[in-house]
Amino acid sequence: MDRKSIIKWIKEPGKMGHKYSLWAVYFCTGCGIIEIPPVITARWDAERFGVIPVATPRQANLFMITGYVSLKTLKAIIRTYEQMPEPKYTVAFGSCPINGGMYWDSYNTIKHIDKYIPIDGWIAGCMPRPEAIFIAVTKLWMMIDKGEATGYIRYRKNYKFYRRNQEKLFGKLPWPPLYPIDEKEDENGERIEKKNKEDL
Amino acid sequence: MRELELFFGPQHPGMVGNFSITLKVEGDRILEAIPNPGYLHRGFEKLMELRNWIQNFPFVCRINVVEPDSMEAVYAMAVERLANIEVPERAKYIRTIVLELARLASHLFGAWAYANMLGFDTPAQWAMADRDHILDLFEELTGARVYHIYILPGGVRRDLPDGFEEKVMYFLHALAQKLPDYNETFFENRIFYERAKNIGKIKKEEAIEWAATGQVLRATGVKYDIRKVEPYLVYDKVDFDIPTREDGDAYSRILVIRDEMVESAKIIMQCIEKMPKGKVYERLPNPFKWKIPKGETYVRVESSRGELGLYMVSNGGNTPYRVHFRTPSFNHGLFILPRLLKGASIADVGNIMISLYVVAPEIDR
Amino acid sequence: MEKELKKRIKKIYKNTQVEFPEANRMVIKTKQENLLPILEFLKNEGFRQLKAISCVDWIEEKEFELIYHLSSLNSPLHIMVKVRIGREDAQIETIIKIFGNAQIYEREIHELFGVKFRGNPNLSPLFLENWQSIPPFRKDFDTREYVKKKFGEIPFVEEKK
Repeated sequence: MDRKSIIKWIKEPGKMGHKYSLWAVYFCTGCGIIEIPPVITARWDAERFGVIPVATPRQANLFMITGYVSLKTLKAIIRTYEQMPEPKYTVAFGSCPINGGMYWDSYNTIKHIDKYIPIDGWIAGCMPRPEAIFIAVTKLWMMIDKGEATGYIRYRKNYKFYRRNQEKLFGKLPWPPLYPIDEKEDENGERIEKKNKEDL
Repeated sequence: MRELELFFGPQHPGMVGNFSITLKVEGDRILEAIPNPGYLHRGFEKLMELRNWIQNFPFVCRINVVEPDSMEAVYAMAVERLANIEVPERAKYIRTIVLELARLASHLFGAWAYANMLGFDTPAQWAMADRDHILDLFEELTGARVYHIYILPGGVRRDLPDGFEEKVMYFLHALAQKLPDYNETFFENRIFYERAKNIGKIKKEEAIEWAATGQVLRATGVKYDIRKVEPYLVYDKVDFDIPTREDGDAYSRILVIRDEMVESAKIIMQCIEKMPKGKVYERLPNPFKWKIPKGETYVRVESSRGELGLYMVSNGGNTPYRVHFRTPSFNHGLFILPRLLKGASIADVGNIMISLYVVAPEIDR
Repeated sequence: MEKELKKRIKKIYKNTQVEFPEANRMVIKTKQENLLPILEFLKNEGFRQLKAISCVDWIEEKEFELIYHLSSLNSPLHIMVKVRIGREDAQIETIIKIFGNAQIYEREIHELFGVKFRGNPNLSPLFLENWQSIPPFRKDFDTREYVKKKFGEIPFVEEKK
């Protein structure tokens, strides 16, 4: 056996052990907190799917964004998401994170959360039933098998653009960037713009 | 003396809901607690001014996520008062049954939260599983588990389906048979008594000065319930009692909640016996072009957490001119909670906060 | 009992009107100078609970209207005391010496409408952070324009395929 096929042979049971025990961070954002306690208690038991709520983001790899997100909550979500170790997956509940939902004209809610955090799966409904949450978890397993659940890889590759969007919303962020941003390109871009303005 | 600032933030295993407190601590004692709301603010009252009277119905039930029916009821009553609409008798009885079932579900949710916080896992799972049977009843009646949109101005949306009354009576009898089990493991347990006694004590004079309502006031010995003071719907035709306790601490509040659940079951059984036949809905004029005459009104209802009030002003147009909700959690969470936390220890913060039954979306709206 | 209360109030304070629009509701309209004495008088009569403070923006008459909701444990009456103040540079005395829990309601009205309460020690914002526009609940604040400007200009993060 050569090196490539040994790595492929080891990764398969690793993937199975990893996807059948997705641990979720216990963070209630928005309206969806009303359907999370039925999901994790005795009637609709989420533990048979391997999903249990844990206290700290350092031990978790699934993040459920339940319902609408306001400006203050988005700061807490970004900090929590950046503390989770890789590989990590996010699932968004309801129609509010997709395009604003019924609060489309509110001055304090985020309309498209995809511009600030990468999302792997969407669940429709207001509120979605517990069975819909379990269907989403099984679809996430199929995506992990095929290698399509790549939210964290996209975040790492395009971190410059995500951080720029976050700073457009909040101004200067008080925490340092998670991955090193290519400083030269930005500086050059800014310098070129400033030069033009001085010329004018 | 070194003072430390701790952040009891939104992502915390002891927090139910999206709410945060900043604690100023010295060692283990809390010197000052500053609540920090705003994580769920949507600007509800401004958004309701941009939508029609009938478009506000699916909107208004999302303010309080744990008990949405009391919000629908208070909005429907305010619109009916301004527009002079009479509700048929059978609709009043059905509305009372729905409101009391919602109160039972909300009290079971509160019991889950408090039992989980103190470490009683078994009664917590029982309470949540029993609450799911009530949501099944709601699904058969209205079509959705939460956010029913069932109480409209002019009555209710449709009549009871066949066999509904027998299912409700069966559920209430099954819950009554389980009450000795709940008492033994949770409400009258020796360990729970030790963990909840003398925590978060409020005196009677303080509770009246601080405008507390609901169980927080009744646990100090004052008999005040909006259902007896200003009876709305059919509360003057059924026979029920208002339970009170004397001590004013967390243990008394939980016992008041248990007694209220028994009273709610009595009210539902009496309503099912006395309900007349008839129509359930009064037709409205074309609801999309409906204009309501000028005026203002204040309506109040006893929700499961206290007095819920609505002050509404209409200017004669298609949309409300100003809507202001008086929610009980605004007072309990922002005014009473910092005064109770002063001098407590860090381990008691979750205990006191959940025993006051603060629901975070009601504070921010 | 209510008619007696009305007679006593009208005798003592000038420039006030008292009405009974519905069952169990009493509305007292008064001027800014009489507000604190009337609230003290009502508190001594037994109306010791301040339930809420509301604010309405009458943009055409260029006035704000503040409504104080009071209730008591001994009677089912609910009293609303109404005061009108001008819209430009809106200011009024605070009432936290009489009712302690007015502090949180005044803080909320200051943030959402822009009314200043003289003597209130803590008027910092409750819900909003870094807010740089006019107070959002006023009638001349257009939320749909604000949303288009603030959130519409942020681009999607697109991937090169």
